[in-house]
Amino acid sequence: MTSAFGAALEALDRSASSPKGYCRPFVDLFPITGASVSTLGSLLGSETLSASDTVAARLDELQFDLGEGPCWEAVRSGRPVLEPDFSVRSSTRWPALSAALRDEQLRSIFAFPLAVGPLRIGAVDLYSVVPVHFDQTQAKQADAMAGVVGRHVLRQALNAVGRDYDYRGNAYSRRIVHQATGMVLAQLDLSPDDALLVIQGHAFATSRSMMEVAQDVIEGRLTFSSEDDGIEASG
Amino acid sequence: MSEITKEARLLQTFASLADTLVDGYDVVDLLQLLVDTCQQLLDTTAAAILLAGPNGELDVVASTSEASRLVELIQISAEAGPCVQSFQTGEVVSVSDITDVPEAWSLFRERALDLGFASVHAVPMRLRDNTIGTLNLLREQLGELDEQDRIAARAFADVATIGILHERSLRETAVLAEQLQGALTSRIVIEQAKGVVAYTNGVSIEDAFALIRGYARSHQVGISQVAARLVDRSLRLDD
Repeated sequence: MTSAFGAALEALDRSASSPKGYCRPFVDLFPITGASVSTLGSLLGSETLSASDTVAARLDELQFDLGEGPCWEAVRSGRPVLEPDFSVRSSTRWPALSAALRDEQLRSIFAFPLAVGPLRIGAVDLYSVVPVHFDQTQAKQADAMAGVVGRHVLRQALNAVGRDYDYRGNAYSRRIVHQATGMVLAQLDLSPDDALLVIQGHAFATSRSMMEVAQDVIEGRLTFSSEDDGIEASG
Repeated sequence: MSEITKEARLLQTFASLADTLVDGYDVVDLLQLLVDTCQQLLDTTAAAILLAGPNGELDVVASTSEASRLVELIQISAEAGPCVQSFQTGEVVSVSDITDVPEAWSLFRERALDLGFASVHAVPMRLRDNTIGTLNLLREQLGELDEQDRIAARAFADVATIGILHERSLRETAVLAEQLQGALTSRIVIEQAKGVVAYTNGVSIEDAFALIRGYARSHQVGISQVAARLVDRSLRLDD
């Protein structure tokens, strides 16, 4: 199991820059029918990046249109959403979605947030036509894989707006950014690369320069926390 | 300080530097020791060493104070000021009165005077035709450094150059670039580590550096090593 999981992580890393490959490792590793990966929300907008089949693609599209469903819940809460009995319970939990999917053979749905630190940018949706239960290990593995996909997606998006999003600056401002990277990695328990990505993503989300965000971090005006829903400004 | 004591201390410093260079050593530690020694033994208020990265931009790798206003001033000097001129010409640039600098250096002049500096002495760190960085001495007094201090500053800059390049790299340009990059990368990790400690110990960025340095000293490990362990979270500084 662990080695299959390792292989799935490697597969995700190999397709870092080709979103089409994001779904396959999920479908290979878990007892599910299909998967989709999409961005959601204000940071990157709502868009399906990859879907393993047309049902998975349609599931995403319906959730975008209806504004409800497991992927939205995963993004809002920052936690996995597991619904092994979709066909039974969904009508109260997601009435509109459930009505729209009445004719589909959909028995279980799982959604995992795409997040880097406090930045929530989308979700991985998994579905099955036969009822399946994810045990704790499977849920953790899928969550970790969604984390890897989240970093790839955010990096790709920032690349698209310019490789080092506003990371030019002079040596002095880079020094400030390095110091802020240290603070953020300690706040969120991330690697330096991921902490820098959080600063970059936050700068992008708030239309400010990395230097400004870094200054706020160093001076304690901005504190990142992955515990609550987003970013806490203090001081 | 009497001349004899000063000479004796200079000799002592060079002897201990020679020791450092024989063993495996941390290049950032060495550069920090050099700037601190400049401040203690030479007639100077503050000192800093800058190294050129692959794109030719100069970065502060060691300074006598981590106070952001000083680091910023030195960085300004590295963009338009005595520091970058010394780097580009490979010559010593000595400014005996900062109020007299050319207009192109007006930002440097303004900030330096603000911080109370009156004169500056920038020494290139040279290896034959290659300049890899500069040693900068900022002084509160007007006028030139005296002859003995100029010679000592030159020697410190040379030791710093040797310290960075190691003997074996003198023939290989590729290795030279690598070692320069190594010193600059160590500095990045140190900046990150300052951020980590500032957060975990609830102190300022400046105080964080003092804590890191104190730990490195008392445990006899290099600053860069301590910084790397703080950043990968395998070490925490408890106060």
